[in-house]
Amino acid sequence: MNKHVIPQAEEPPEQNNQQNNQLENIRDFEIQDYLRLDLFPHFMCPGCGHGIALRALLWAIHDQGIDKNNLAIISGIGCSGRVGTYIDANTYHTTHGRPLAFATGLKMARPDLHVVVITGDGDCLAIGGNHLIHAARRNLDITCIMLNNEIYGMTGGQVSPTTPHDRFTTTTPAGNIEPVFDASRLAEAAGAGFVGREVTIHVPRLRDLISEGLDYKGFSFIEVMSDCTEINGRKNDLGSSSEMVLGQTRTMRPSEYDNNVVDHPFRPNSMNTGVFVKSNRPEYGASYRDMVDDIQEKQKGHSV
Amino acid sequence: MAKAKKNKSPRKSAPVSYAPLKLDPETSDEAINVLIVGVGGQGVIMVSKVLAQICQNLGLQVKQSEVHGMAKRGGVVFSHVRFGKTVWSPTIPKGKADVLVALEWAEGLRWMDYLRPDTGIFITDTKRIVPPFACRSRILGADIGYSKNTPDDVIGKVAEAFAIDATDMAAKEGNELAANTLLLGALSTTLSFSNEVWREVITQMVPPKTIEVNLSVFDKGQKWIEGSRKGEPVEGSAFIPLVQPEDHPVRTTLSIIEEWCKGCDICVKMCPERCLVLNKDQVVELADPEKCTGCHICEWLCPDFAISLNPSLNSPPNLKVQEAVA
Repeated sequence: MNKHVIPQAEEPPEQNNQQNNQLENIRDFEIQDYLRLDLFPHFMCPGCGHGIALRALLWAIHDQGIDKNNLAIISGIGCSGRVGTYIDANTYHTTHGRPLAFATGLKMARPDLHVVVITGDGDCLAIGGNHLIHAARRNLDITCIMLNNEIYGMTGGQVSPTTPHDRFTTTTPAGNIEPVFDASRLAEAAGAGFVGREVTIHVPRLRDLISEGLDYKGFSFIEVMSDCTEINGRKNDLGSSSEMVLGQTRTMRPSEYDNNVVDHPFRPNSMNTGVFVKSNRPEYGASYRDMVDDIQEKQKGHSV
Repeated sequence: MAKAKKNKSPRKSAPVSYAPLKLDPETSDEAINVLIVGVGGQGVIMVSKVLAQICQNLGLQVKQSEVHGMAKRGGVVFSHVRFGKTVWSPTIPKGKADVLVALEWAEGLRWMDYLRPDTGIFITDTKRIVPPFACRSRILGADIGYSKNTPDDVIGKVAEAFAIDATDMAAKEGNELAANTLLLGALSTTLSFSNEVWREVITQMVPPKTIEVNLSVFDKGQKWIEGSRKGEPVEGSAFIPLVQPEDHPVRTTLSIIEEWCKGCDICVKMCPERCLVLNKDQVVELADPEKCTGCHICEWLCPDFAISLNPSLNSPPNLKVQEAVA
């Protein structure tokens, strides 16, 4: 009586067409629309979480309905820097640690563009630490995706500001003794208007977080907990890539982050994730242009 | 059910062929047994409380016992009500219930063998609440593990059966939560208590704002049974067959771009149906297409974008695409 009735076409279309029509109805995000297919397969190691994060980013861009021609991807140096290369948009591969500085200049000159920065934990927190805090302080409308894999992967596995305690790296052969940087709290303290964190295993949640960050008018800082299987995982015996991805919800988070853990019963992930900050601080670009308009207005009156 | 007689078919029988049975606790030596079953949240306990309260008001002995512990919102609830001049045991033995009131279709079927084979009266709502564990197979088109019996299958297995679409009728009266009161109205036609007694206790028991709608659906329930016994056409008895998922028009197709796969094993380990494997070249392949449910987990977690569900429309040229229809 209330069965699904598939309406019959007068002339049965070819199977291919039928399939395509169905696809259009069912599926509207095609990741290959957003990739430079001639560069594939990408250079990242098997099981690298950056690929999952890239899918979430492109999916969020699709959800936001952002035109590829109005999208500028700025990336720095490192594994995360190379991620931007594969996006079929206006991409800008900049010097180490400075993607936020380049992005600031681009956004000031071209406020019509959607500027997205893809950076890594070493790129953003170590050599680019100052750029991060000042970008957060200004609250310019940039979306900063920090792919935190807790290591310098591309250069051979050196210790990074987010490498957890006791982890072995090529520069800490006896184990790391430095405390970690909590990037989200740093960005929050520096004044970022939007701060969020998510793990790569929850792809739809990560997509929604990035989507919210893209939508936010102001500096949105999104920390993506990624996994480095080949360099970090193998040296520290953290298991296969699937184990590391699964472990993001349970064991990947070390005790260093304890001051920033959730207190939700039955939630296995001790790491606090989700949207941390969403404020309505004034956006720098808008304030700047208002000021320029004011001054130009006054000067006009003065000359007359 | 094995001893069921097949001589009476109430909903299709000739009109006024027998006198309606009224169970009277005053004249009966044995206790009268009413079993009320349903799903958490439907109001099984309320129905049994109304019945028990009436019996108490009339000075009868009454014993009511129920199971409702973990049943909040979706679990099984049943309530045994026994009343009469003397009642000893609090529970009803199998095959001894005089009336079975079911607020949910499958629950009613489950308890049918508690009815007296020769005189038991089965009053049921045709409302179906399909529990999550009836849908354990995630494959598209998988069978739902829910009873496929229709009211016609019940005819002949019990002495007298009434399948009412009570929830729908109550919803038309303004509150579908009053379906249990509608079934109380149906139950009242089988017992000798006067209408005033029923209405008084219902007025006490239901929330004050819903007294009016509850009393009106109580009347509806009574009229439904009376009309049905006379063979008059009654509204609210339509039984709509379950929609079987075979009719779902979506079919997913998994495609794997072998050249892009790096054999990281994430999809193989994460697939809930375990239908992917790495072949000897350390490239993923769909080993068990029948099991694939199209859940997208492998697609979303593939860092190399090698897997896509429903083949992508613009797959790169000159790349072999392994396809399997699931």
